[in-house]
Amino acid sequence: MELFADLLLIAVGAALINNFVLSYFVGICPFLGVSRKIDTALGMGLAVTFVITVAGFLSWTLTEFVLRPGAPLASAVWRMLGGEGGADLSVLSYIAYIFVIAASVQFVEMYVKKFFPPLYKSFGVFLPLITTNCAILFACLLIMKEVVGGNWGLAESLTLPIFGGLGFTLAIVLMAGIRVELDLADVPKPLRGAPIAMLTAAILALAFLGFTGMGASLKQALTPAAAEPPAAVAAVEVQR
Amino acid sequence: MTGETMVLVGMGSGVMLLLAVAGGAVLGWANRRFHVPVDPRVERINRALPGANCGNCGFVGCGEYAEAVAGGQTALTLCAPGGPSVVQSLAGIMGVDAEPTWPYRVIVHCTATTDMRLRRHPYRGEPTCTAANLVADVQGCTNGCLGLGDCEVACTYDAIHVVDGVAVVDYTKCTGCGDCVDACPRGIISRVPFKAERILAVGCANQDFGNDVKAVCTIGCIGCKACTKLAPALVMKGNLPVLDYDKYEAGFDFLPAIEKCPMESLVWVGKPTAKDLEALTDVEMPQRADATFDTTVDKTEWWG
Repeated sequence: MELFADLLLIAVGAALINNFVLSYFVGICPFLGVSRKIDTALGMGLAVTFVITVAGFLSWTLTEFVLRPGAPLASAVWRMLGGEGGADLSVLSYIAYIFVIAASVQFVEMYVKKFFPPLYKSFGVFLPLITTNCAILFACLLIMKEVVGGNWGLAESLTLPIFGGLGFTLAIVLMAGIRVELDLADVPKPLRGAPIAMLTAAILALAFLGFTGMGASLKQALTPAAAEPPAAVAAVEVQR
Repeated sequence: MTGETMVLVGMGSGVMLLLAVAGGAVLGWANRRFHVPVDPRVERINRALPGANCGNCGFVGCGEYAEAVAGGQTALTLCAPGGPSVVQSLAGIMGVDAEPTWPYRVIVHCTATTDMRLRRHPYRGEPTCTAANLVADVQGCTNGCLGLGDCEVACTYDAIHVVDGVAVVDYTKCTGCGDCVDACPRGIISRVPFKAERILAVGCANQDFGNDVKAVCTIGCIGCKACTKLAPALVMKGNLPVLDYDKYEAGFDFLPAIEKCPMESLVWVGKPTAKDLEALTDVEMPQRADATFDTTVDKTEWWG
């Protein structure tokens, strides 16, 4: 039950409260580049979600068994070669993650080209550019931090990328919906094109700011044991 | 460097090597599993094209054009930067004969000089065809050249001039851009593929019946249909014969039709051939007379 509550918190946190695009401002490139049509945006969002999940899983595996300080596989080799204690290969994390991300993007590209040729065409250059989508590296690094800190297992490490990716999809589809309407709107001349897109993104980010603080109250609601409200809050409740 | 660091570096290299092997294996499998068969001709056409991605052909880039060509969905001749040599190599790849391409040139469908046009009235307005075209009864023929030179102004290449009150194309300079076609308010200039140095043209655009035409012009086409009977390439459209230049061939024998035409409305246009020039060496050419239009409004002043 506690695991479930944790996962729910991570999921809501990744998708809404700390939305990758609108709160951390990572993955802006496809967010502005492929948000002209809703179906393309949805495809892009799902592709990113898939890549981020695969990359998240692979990076957790790598971090857990090889890269983190005292990782079992690396340490075994380390001791075999005459070292003391555990090995620390975390210097490799960045290059290893980028490698894993690039490989998954290649895989997705081949898959999409084979099975969804129209989607492949509409993605254009943005599909290979997922490789350098910072949202994905960001997710990998977030997972590494938590795994090295000993807080997260596989379940948490999969929840974050899946819901982070879905949050990205939500943001990009919302943006595409707005921009489709914007095409029909009478935008003042100096703001046409990129400026109005930036403004729209900013207002969207402001709107998502409204989720801030939801995490704490959700945590309270989900963990009854720790739910004893602080005295001051309780007093306010009573007065009401 | 201590021994431990050496071991660490070695392990790091080992990890990356293993990752590379694993990634390579998965991607290699996926490449074969998700292989999309591509027409090998697309690749060859792509290499034959200039690769400028200029978009002149109407496709996004050379790659898209190559795909369309390989699919047989479009013509081989759309690549402007590549020119005839690219058309040749594309035709070689596709295994078809390269169709020769023709440059486009313009034709003025009026040959009547000022004195041939009847029922003319003095016009004192702004000396442009566009303005004169708005006024009724400047001249009897509503399809005839007004001779005020809008096309001359529009031409970038100094290739069209008003001579004796009618626009004449200088085919040694014309590039077929079609600016004069857009400039002519009466729409009597058309842009056609020039399949020979000299091609036949119908030198009249008046679609009225014979008597009406005769009332306004001494050489206008009266719609007698004689030429269409003698030359199948000419077809009547309303009261006027028109040439279908898509079907036009240099070898067509138009001589009977030209000789038969009572109004001499069928004319050869294009670059003069060497024989024509030779024939004209002895003939004294008339002086080119610029049409004068006395008007109170100076063009430069009018426009500031």
